[in-house]
Amino acid sequence: MTKVKMETKNLNLWYGEKQALFDINLPIYEKKITALIGPSGCGKSTFLRCLNRLNDLIANVRIEGEVLLDGKNIYDKDVDVYELRKRVGMVFQKPNPFAMSIYDNVAFGPRIHGIKDKKELDKIVEWALKKAALWDEVKDELHKNALSLSGGQQQRLCIARAIAVKPEVLLMDEPTSALDPISTLKIEELMVELAKDYTIVVVTHNMQQASRVSDYTAFFLMGKLIEFGETEQIFLNPQKKETDDYISGRFG
Amino acid sequence: MSHTKHKTIRMIKDKIFLIVVGTLTLLAILPLFHIILSIFEKGLPIVMERGLTFITGTLSEGGIGPAIVGTLMLTIMATLIGLPLAFLAGAYAYEFPDSFIGRGTKMLLQIMLEFPTILVGTFIMGLLVIPMGSFSALAGALSLALILTPYVAVYTEEAMAEVPRIYKEGGYALGCTRAQVIFKVITKMAKKGILTGILIGMAKVAGETAPLLFTAGGLYEVYPTDPLQPIGAIPLLIYTLVQSPSPQDHQMAWGAALIMLLIFLSIFVPIRYALKDDIKL
Repeated sequence: MTKVKMETKNLNLWYGEKQALFDINLPIYEKKITALIGPSGCGKSTFLRCLNRLNDLIANVRIEGEVLLDGKNIYDKDVDVYELRKRVGMVFQKPNPFAMSIYDNVAFGPRIHGIKDKKELDKIVEWALKKAALWDEVKDELHKNALSLSGGQQQRLCIARAIAVKPEVLLMDEPTSALDPISTLKIEELMVELAKDYTIVVVTHNMQQASRVSDYTAFFLMGKLIEFGETEQIFLNPQKKETDDYISGRFG
Repeated sequence: MSHTKHKTIRMIKDKIFLIVVGTLTLLAILPLFHIILSIFEKGLPIVMERGLTFITGTLSEGGIGPAIVGTLMLTIMATLIGLPLAFLAGAYAYEFPDSFIGRGTKMLLQIMLEFPTILVGTFIMGLLVIPMGSFSALAGALSLALILTPYVAVYTEEAMAEVPRIYKEGGYALGCTRAQVIFKVITKMAKKGILTGILIGMAKVAGETAPLLFTAGGLYEVYPTDPLQPIGAIPLLIYTLVQSPSPQDHQMAWGAALIMLLIFLSIFVPIRYALKDDIKL
């Protein structure tokens, strides 16, 4: 029986007057990959950003309902949001390495969380870069500026940077949409590998990607969760007509 | 037939336009070249004649050494005083753009940019010079710091605002606090713009005369050592020399102007170049 790592209960979200999410109830299983699919503007990215409270940064966002992490509502008053984001890491749509060296990028998270010892940092950086399948390509130039890497390498660096703080959940917002097919393949292999240790939630526009890598798939449409289930069932035997229309490309 | 005629008219119009724009541009930049040329033409003979003495000697020896050191000291002191305040003010205006204080800060900075500098001098005179009973380097540096602050702050705010949102979110997503995002992520990404602001601010204050009139006092016969004592500066010296009836003093003023121009060019041209070649984000 797979354990539920995160879960949303009757999650509603408004941007000002406009409601963007309607009563979302979705379990996220531990050490599995959950894919969020749906057309642009359906709320899947907004939903993802509720899971690490990144929507807090946007003015006029109002949230109702619960988001549970190991059974504890992350929107409770006593939750330390910075500690939460350490536990729930994120990789963005566009690679966003900071304008500093490869090493400093990966060591950035551990450093702000208080690790100063050089040897320990060295170990974390090597571990994270190996995990992100980037070590062999950069091990001789760790002090080179991260912005000189290719797009695919930058995105793997961002994954290394995210896992260097040892999160439990990794959120990925269309992590391959800005990459070429070969880099995409590498990231997908990496996701499957990372799912052995981490719970992954990935937003994707790419149906093949969802079916290739994910264990569970959630289909969103206009702010509502239309269908959720094991990926195989969603793709081979969708229960709802909208899901069928979308995954078979008859949508819209 | 009429088609080709139209074409010729169009080409003539185009030529006229180019000539007009070119002439106006030339007229606009001509004074600048004229200034630079006159400074070289009138300043070079005296600098060549006196040689090293002009740069290191005191006024009675025929040099402007104390004024050069005074300008450097005042600029550095003003930067040390103004920079931290300006940086924090800029960061504040960036982080809270919609709050009442944030908007107020930004508006105030914009006003300070255009504030008559002589009023800053009188303000510091009342605040520092009169109670202390003497002109001083500190008073001079403080009024220059007030002039430097809005430049650095406005440039800091604008450079930070240009950093794409995704980097800010990247910082937060790693568990950074608000302060860590600003000082460790945004500042690094906005480095170039902030540095430009600092340089422009420094250039501005190094060339200022008015705020020093009632604060610095002037010191040209010995090198400045005590920040609580009067100090000289190149622009202040030029102002004093020009008022003198003696043609030799006017010559000295041209020489001092040349030195000031050379200091500017030798510092700012290479630095602006270096900043330009920085990595594009």
